[in-house]
Amino acid sequence: MSCEHVQELISPLLDRRLAAGEREKMLAHLQVCRKCDEHLEAIQNQRKALRRMDCAPVPAGLTAQLRVMASHERERHLSRATLAARFRYWSGRMELMVDNLMRPFALPFAGGLLSALVIFSVLVPSLSFHHNFGDEAFFTSPDGEVVLVDSRGGYVQAGYLDPRILPLNIAIPDNSNAVTLTVDENGKVCDWYVSRGQLTPELLNVVMFSQFKPATNFGLPTAAKVNAVQQVLPGRMRS
Amino acid sequence: MATSILDLNSEQTAEASAEGDDLRLVEALRQASEQAYEELLSRFQQPVYTLALRLLNDQSEASDVVQEVFLKVFRNIGNFRGQSTLKTWIYRITVNEAHNTRRWFFRHRRREVELDTSLEDARNWKEIIPDRSRSPFEEAFDHEQHLMIEAALEKINPIFRDAVVLRDITDLSYEEIAEVLGVSLGTVKSRILRGREALRDELAGSLNARPALRLVPKTAE
Repeated sequence: MSCEHVQELISPLLDRRLAAGEREKMLAHLQVCRKCDEHLEAIQNQRKALRRMDCAPVPAGLTAQLRVMASHERERHLSRATLAARFRYWSGRMELMVDNLMRPFALPFAGGLLSALVIFSVLVPSLSFHHNFGDEAFFTSPDGEVVLVDSRGGYVQAGYLDPRILPLNIAIPDNSNAVTLTVDENGKVCDWYVSRGQLTPELLNVVMFSQFKPATNFGLPTAAKVNAVQQVLPGRMRS
Repeated sequence: MATSILDLNSEQTAEASAEGDDLRLVEALRQASEQAYEELLSRFQQPVYTLALRLLNDQSEASDVVQEVFLKVFRNIGNFRGQSTLKTWIYRITVNEAHNTRRWFFRHRRREVELDTSLEDARNWKEIIPDRSRSPFEEAFDHEQHLMIEAALEKINPIFRDAVVLRDITDLSYEEIAEVLGVSLGTVKSRILRGREALRDELAGSLNARPALRLVPKTAE
């Protein structure tokens, strides 16, 4: 056997993978060849040194990490075992996700809502006013009570029915006398004309003495027209 | 002859028993038994870590590889068909992960240099604490030897290093190494031979018999 061949067989010899015959031949060569024997000894020493490196202590942190990972993986495995478990797992995850998402907003949201409610309830009495979004909200006709002069020269309230103050948009009955008054922003009659029938003393009283609540436009007093209507009773009608 | 037959029988019995253990463990893992997870870790975390450490020669990289390996084992245990032993299957995953890490290392971190940690600082405290049963000289000698071998292992071709580590450190048989590396038996023999020779060249006689203790005389000051 050549030295080169023997040195190639040293490795299988150490691993006991040589046939008996080949092994005998090799051992015989090693007994007479110092170079090959030294080669064998070097490889043997190297193997011994390598075998002493077979146990590096596992870091404690790694052991803990592996145990945690094993626990997580087991949970994961169990969560996928059946359809119900899978559903439970995903619903749990969704719940957690929503919880995590909402939690940062929950406190500021609740605080904001509460403070808004407090502020609103404190301010609402001072903000309350009559809201009426009908036509009247923007424009109101003059209104007032008809005042008559009695026999002693004092002012007395006229009867409910005669004469009446009606807005312009209400038609004047046929059998009546009416004057159309222009009431200024102070509630005084500043102009008038007979719009139906004739001027009676009662209507003249209205023109001269009655005080009106002025018309309003967007809440501000303004001048406007109104009718004072006196119904003509059959007995009092003049032909 | 009778003895060898008995040995063969006992080896076969041990193999069958190990195979039975593997199948039982795999089945328990598939059932998500807590005990099975514990058993898998206790059986394999040490050898897998040692293998990863010797293949990569870096503790933090080895720790990462071990975590990746066990993650893959836990997630793919359902795909284990029992065509190889559990040990070789796990070792195969370890070797592949170590290859991937090494590739990534060479691509990304080759030029990184540690600033303030020496190799001594990076070692685990358990490795630094002296073993009282051995003399300081032996301890120092072994330590030096380990460092030399680690350095030499790092220099040899990774293909040969894998084979040598699996044979001489992890103590796998040629057949198991062939399964782990996914190569033929002849290739395994060739890689082990070449790996050992390459390692011997790198070490260049430094692992011969222990040097005698030399006393160097000094004059008193």
